Amino acid sequence: MNNGMNYDLLLDALDKAENGPVLDEKEWDREVIGKNFRETLEKYDISMERDDPYITNDDALADRLYEAGMELAVKTGVYCIDTKRRMTWTREELESILSDMPDSVTLGTGDDTATVRRRRPEENSHVVIYGGPFGIPVSEELFIPFHEAYAREPLIEIFNLGTLLSTRGRKIRAGSPWEAVAAWQEKELAFEILERVGRPGMAMGCVEIATTEVGELAGTTLGGYRPTDAHKINFISEQKTAYHHLTEATHYAHVDAFSESYFNPMYGGYVGGAAGVALACVSGSIVMRACYQGTLNNIGPTHVHISASTHPEVLRALQLGLQALARNANFLTSPFIRPTTGPGTMEIFYETGALAVASAVAGCSYIDASQSAAGTHAGHASPLEVKFVAKLTHAVEGLSRADAAPIVAWMVDKYKDIQSEALTGKPFQELHDLETLDPTPEWNQMYLDAINEVNQEFGLNISG
Amino acid sequence: MSNWESKQTEFTESILAGNEQAAVALARTSLEEGATPVEFFENCISPSLQDIGKRFETLDIFLPEMVTAADTVEKVNEDVINPAVAESQAGESMSLGKVLLATVQGDLHDIGKNMVGLMLKVNGFEVVDLGTNVPPADIVARAEQEQVDIIGMSALLTTCLPYMKDVCDFLEGKNIRDKYPVIIGGAATHPEIAEEMGANTHGGSAAEGVEKCKMLLGKL
Repeated sequence: MNNGMNYDLLLDALDKAENGPVLDEKEWDREVIGKNFRETLEKYDISMERDDPYITNDDALADRLYEAGMELAVKTGVYCIDTKRRMTWTREELESILSDMPDSVTLGTGDDTATVRRRRPEENSHVVIYGGPFGIPVSEELFIPFHEAYAREPLIEIFNLGTLLSTRGRKIRAGSPWEAVAAWQEKELAFEILERVGRPGMAMGCVEIATTEVGELAGTTLGGYRPTDAHKINFISEQKTAYHHLTEATHYAHVDAFSESYFNPMYGGYVGGAAGVALACVSGSIVMRACYQGTLNNIGPTHVHISASTHPEVLRALQLGLQALARNANFLTSPFIRPTTGPGTMEIFYETGALAVASAVAGCSYIDASQSAAGTHAGHASPLEVKFVAKLTHAVEGLSRADAAPIVAWMVDKYKDIQSEALTGKPFQELHDLETLDPTPEWNQMYLDAINEVNQEFGLNISG
Repeated sequence: MSNWESKQTEFTESILAGNEQAAVALARTSLEEGATPVEFFENCISPSLQDIGKRFETLDIFLPEMVTAADTVEKVNEDVINPAVAESQAGESMSLGKVLLATVQGDLHDIGKNMVGLMLKVNGFEVVDLGTNVPPADIVARAEQEQVDIIGMSALLTTCLPYMKDVCDFLEGKNIRDKYPVIIGGAATHPEIAEEMGANTHGGSAAEGVEKCKMLLGKL
């Protein structure tokens, strides 16, 4: 298969969901996850304190975290909530699965391809920018201009969409025929946008509206989204799957489609604090690969009270998890950037920028940016925050972790105390001219101010 | 330090550590010394759980510790408090109210809902948790069956929001809308969405959800 999936391994995973040991879900959360995470962190002497630097400069710790994550992956596995069974893999099985992962993959077609490569911490190589208003709800009327503004941005190499608020004037209901209608409409609009900007082969994250397998199956079919796009599949926290996810993985195997698998370990949840989240980044990536054989690996840890991956403790955990993965296996990994603040604020540049810098020097292969204003407010996103992430990311490729640490600390200091205020900013239509799609002069000036500030503070030479 | 203060400190430590034996023994001894079940609840269980709830809000403790504490208190209630209440026939209820919780149809995410459930429990509510992916008709039927005081619904995904409105519509259709205050929460929601779905209110976090439930029942 072009997508690198092994059909026998997929069938084996489906078997495990049917035949693994039966377990109550509460027991999974509390014992299998909660207890094993605590014990493994103690055994491997892994801890993270609130006054630790935001970027870890300790290769031995990163490698120890990887080894702990592998041990935990074997101990825990995955829980299937439909069959109430635990899917487990031996260490030999997991190592064999990981050894077959490719170290690069090319998505898209023609002149619009993007090659995502394995990177190591501090490596001076290209980080692919996967940009768009990830899952942010948007009206049918605004859908095309909103997304066209992103698709025009040349720094975006893989394109992601927001979600339709309605389909052909009707409410979209998960799992109903309306999800299928919306998936098809989304596909039609997405292709139209790519044609408008002259980038017809650019890979897209899809199917964005799919809440269940209905949307994915309806959108990825004859005339629909292409195998060269990035088809999404996820875990439920922590390390749980369901028939609908396994059905999606099966569909990707049958249509030979690339996929982006993602999961969101929760800081303060069953995995505990920052060290637990770092460990979850590793163990979750390993078992998710075994379960779905995803092409790309997206990690979006979140804070239990503030829905953000940019919270200082979450950022600290994620960068260490990324380092562990980048140093020890061929994962093509990205952080999922979900700031609390929205466009039209200065803080969104600091929030998105801090996580982008920390991830780039930690060895991520690509960056998903961004689910602005935590994705809760319709149309609250703008391509300027992605452009900022892209420029900053490319400026720090090859930078040492020690040199990147002050940049991250400076940015975190500028937003850490206002995250609970949820400054959602302004919607797209108030920040961009809907005819030209250009940002308003005020909003563009804020972007330029953010670039200038970073240049002046850290001697960078980022152009506007 | 008063007698109750020292007992509360000891009780908090016991339930955080999941030491059922010590927590049950402390409750039993207090009742043997003459405290009523309500006095023990008000002076020991309730402040301990509120303290733990606050520690979780600031993340000085994490979800596993809060789960352990809630489970241990449940054991104390089962073994000591509930039998004592039944025996005294005082007819006094220590519950602030009964809340039905469900993640609505199409949505499999449960951590947010579980956190709200725990926070409600540690603040003195009784919780009926229907789990995830629950159809609207089932939510309404169980609310009637369990005679709950509040219906709470969660959704992470925008395409699941219409099922919240269905619940409010079904309640209207059965002429029982006024009987059940409805609160919604989850990443796909905010106060305007609550209004649009026909809910009474919105909880932006687990802690705010508890406050809103108290407000809905006039207990704040």
